[in-house]
Amino acid sequence: MDDYKFLFKVVLVGNAGVGKTCLVRRFTQGLFPPGQGATIGVDFMIKTVDVGNEKVKLQIWDTAGQERFRSITQSYYRSAHALILVYDISCQPTFDCLPDWLREIEEYASSKVLRVLVGNKIDRDDREIPIQVGEEFAERHNMYFLETSAKESDNVERLFMQIAEDLMKQARMTNVPRYDPNSYNVDSSSQESSCCSRLT
Amino acid sequence: MVTLKDANYSEIEHQCQLELEKLKLEEESLISELNGMLNQRTYIEDKIKGLSRLMPTLKVMKHEAQELVTTINDISDSSEKISSKIRQLDLARGNVDECLLRVNDLIDLEICSQGVQQAILDLDYEKGAAHVHRFLSMDQSLLKRTANDMNNVTNMLKSVRTLQDAASQLRAIVEHKFNEAITNEDLVSVERFFKIFPLLGMHQEGIRDFCSFLRTKIGLTADKNLKSAISTPLADKRHSIIYADTLILLFEGLARVIDTHQPLIETYYGPGRLLSAVSILQKECDKQVKRIVLEWGKARQIQKKIQQVSETSRMTSSGSFSKIEKTDPKDLDIVIGEITLMHFRCEIYNKFLQRKVLADIEVGISETEQKTKSIKTLEQLILNSDLSQCKHDLLSHYLRLEQYFMEESVAKAVNMDSLEPGQQTSSMVDDTFFIVRKCIRRSISTGSLDGICVIINNACRVLENDYCDILKARLKQGYPSGYLDLTQAYNVLHNSIQQGRLQPGDTEQSRTAFIVALNNADISTEYVTALVDNIMKEIEGACPNMNTKEQGKLESCLSGISAVSAKLSEIIEYGIQQLKSTAIKPRVNPWVDTFMNFSHQLSEDELSAYEAGESFVQTLIMNLETLLSSFKHILSTNNYELFIQVLTLEVTQRFEKVVMKSQFNRLGGLVLDKEVRSLAGYIVSGTYWSARDQFARLTQIATILNFDYIEEINDYYGNADGAINWRLAPSEIKTVLNLRTDFKSEEIKRLRL
Ligand SMILES: Nc1nc2c(ncn2[C@@H]2O[C@H](COP(=O)(O)OP(=O)(O)OP(=O)(O)O)[C@@H](O)[C@H]2O)c(=O)[nH]1
Ligand SMILES: [Mg+2]
Repeated sequence: MDDYKFLFKVVLVGNAGVGKTCLVRRFTQGLFPPGQGATIGVDFMIKTVDVGNEKVKLQIWDTAGQERFRSITQSYYRSAHALILVYDISCQPTFDCLPDWLREIEEYASSKVLRVLVGNKIDRDDREIPIQVGEEFAERHNMYFLETSAKESDNVERLFMQIAEDLMKQARMTNVPRYDPNSYNVDSSSQESSCCSRLT
Repeated sequence: MVTLKDANYSEIEHQCQLELEKLKLEEESLISELNGMLNQRTYIEDKIKGLSRLMPTLKVMKHEAQELVTTINDISDSSEKISSKIRQLDLARGNVDECLLRVNDLIDLEICSQGVQQAILDLDYEKGAAHVHRFLSMDQSLLKRTANDMNNVTNMLKSVRTLQDAASQLRAIVEHKFNEAITNEDLVSVERFFKIFPLLGMHQEGIRDFCSFLRTKIGLTADKNLKSAISTPLADKRHSIIYADTLILLFEGLARVIDTHQPLIETYYGPGRLLSAVSILQKECDKQVKRIVLEWGKARQIQKKIQQVSETSRMTSSGSFSKIEKTDPKDLDIVIGEITLMHFRCEIYNKFLQRKVLADIEVGISETEQKTKSIKTLEQLILNSDLSQCKHDLLSHYLRLEQYFMEESVAKAVNMDSLEPGQQTSSMVDDTFFIVRKCIRRSISTGSLDGICVIINNACRVLENDYCDILKARLKQGYPSGYLDLTQAYNVLHNSIQQGRLQPGDTEQSRTAFIVALNNADISTEYVTALVDNIMKEIEGACPNMNTKEQGKLESCLSGISAVSAKLSEIIEYGIQQLKSTAIKPRVNPWVDTFMNFSHQLSEDELSAYEAGESFVQTLIMNLETLLSSFKHILSTNNYELFIQVLTLEVTQRFEKVVMKSQFNRLGGLVLDKEVRSLAGYIVSGTYWSARDQFARLTQIATILNFDYIEEINDYYGNADGAINWRLAPSEIKTVLNLRTDFKSEEIKRLRL
């Protein structure tokens, strides 16, 4: 028997090669995998963390960035509690694609999903996207924002822990049973205000 | 005084006596101990004698032991010497062996160099190659040393040179002959020279040339097959899956080539070389698969279909079932089937390759590092092959079309919903679950777990959003109250009910629609459970060796389907509440309220008269019977149970209210008690679940009102033998007692509960 009280689904999306798999492996296994191949379809990992005194089980879905897997990865948006949208701070095109990703999220994900923008690979010295640019983009789209390095383990733990804490807070607030699905417009608006606050 | 002294003496005497007894006992035990020792004396003396006899022997033994030690030391010294001698001997033998080897090599060198030229002249390439092979198997550095140690160097060097020349000559000849055989399609010669390559140390070249040859052959066959596929007439039975057939032919051909040539390669080239052979064949496989998929895409207009499908879903993504012209899902059925077949075949061929090559690596490569490297190469070969890319593309096409198929077919099932006479549920339930199961089954036949998971996710979405929303919407239209004759309504409306398009005033139709939606939700719950069980079993059958991660993935997706049940329960609860407020409350309340029309302060005569006539409870039961029977056959079993539960709750609560508003004397209480019992009896008899609990409060109220005197409460209260589990608070008990006009309120007040 698993002794967890909360189970949350976290889905990582973003262009191929931005480091989604590395972020997940860093968080779940504490390592930076060498010679990491591109993800095929979608990968699945589990990590149970402690938030306060509670055990929280995070089900992490690491999706493939390559276009041809889109029909697989899209089907995981709907049940996600949190979506992590990743770009590579040293690769402008991965940032330029963000609006496309947001469109996908709009189309497939629940309106209540917690959305987090992550600029990865800050250990690299050929940065192309200044931190303010990422920050501003996140703010404009009501997302949390964080810069990470899967390689140096910067902010990775923090990223996932913050998500776990936030989702738990949300779950505690909405413990009223959702009797009428139309009523959730009400609490989604109250939740949006909390989305503006940032992790950094 | 005297008596005191006497007493003292007798006491002393008694003590002395006791002491004496004790001493006697001690003496006896001492004597027996002494006797025992005396008895042992002879035995001990014997022992001592025996020991003294042994003394000289012991001395001898000690001496001998010392001698033994010296001897052993000597032996060890000499064995040390012997072993060093043996080492020397070993060395010497090694030298002799090497010497023999060198001599053998020299002799063979001579023989080979003489034989090889003759063999070449005789066109006996096997023999020549065997000579070269013998030469190549010699330790070349050893040969050099031999040359340095010998006087007659020139001869030997000559032989070496001859052989080296012969080797390169043979290599050229064999390669040339091999190519010639290929050009002439001389299969016997191809095989002949293929076997000679490894003798000349040309393993790589041999495999490369031979597999290139096989590759060409495969390519030719594939070209032919593809051409005939393209020109297959529409009328042909297999036209609809002709490209899947072509793909299957290709894979079967490849598998046959690998299966037949693997033993050949293993025998003449040794194990562990399949990977390099397969890598060459894979190039042709990739090329042909790409062509077949390309031609298939053209013939089936895949891009156009995908585009249409994604356009429709984009347009309808907001409202689920709107009315735009779109591709009929039925038209996609066949092509979806073909894609699953094609994908499955790609999957199987990849698995076949992996299994074959892994087994070969396992046998042929013993060194761990080399082995891991080879396995990695194999993985990369499969992963990066065009075959795998095509496979991913096929899966992607499949998923797009299948999702559309499921959505649209369910939408159709919902739109064409109809009710057969005498049925509790309408066609959309069976149809929807049939479609969902069909799609999931089809996804299982792709052989891709990722594909299965996506279709399961899609099924969750369609069921939870589209399907449940329709049911909910129908219930939201409400259950119109008014005169109740559902059985009639049912009969009138046995053909298609088109939800949402009801004429205002079509009360009976609205009612039927409501009830059917409620039943649909109930039966869907059972279908969901069965669906999860079935597909779980089928997937376990189709993918038997799932690892824990894959299992977790699948379970997570399946739990999404189970979640649909929760949504359905919510819908049922919503519907039952609707029924309560429109069908139960407005009827039940007036019926129960007639209780107030009767006096409950009766004389004996009035009691007889009341019991002779139509009593309150008889009428109530009759009314309830009519109400229940009008729902009994139209509601599903579970829903009917829920309906009775809600009804019972409503009746008991209302009944309690009117009782509390009435006043009773002893006989009035008696009547109430009887009436409550018969009502409870009636309802309990009609249900599977225990309704008695819902009557607890009412029964207790009636019991109190049926008391002969106030103090009777003590028989039922506190620690009394007849104490019951009260559902009434003490203050409530007192309120009830106060309803009895013949009970004095001061006395009630004095009661201590
Ligand atoms: N310097 C640096 N390199 C990183 C970091 N994270 C990932 N990488 C590298 O980026 C490359 C791609 O990483 P992956 O994690 O495979 O990328 P992905 O987003 O999972 O890619 P797909 O699975 O194809 O969608 C790898 O070569 C990693 O070594 C990081 O924080 N710093
Ligand atoms: Mg990845």
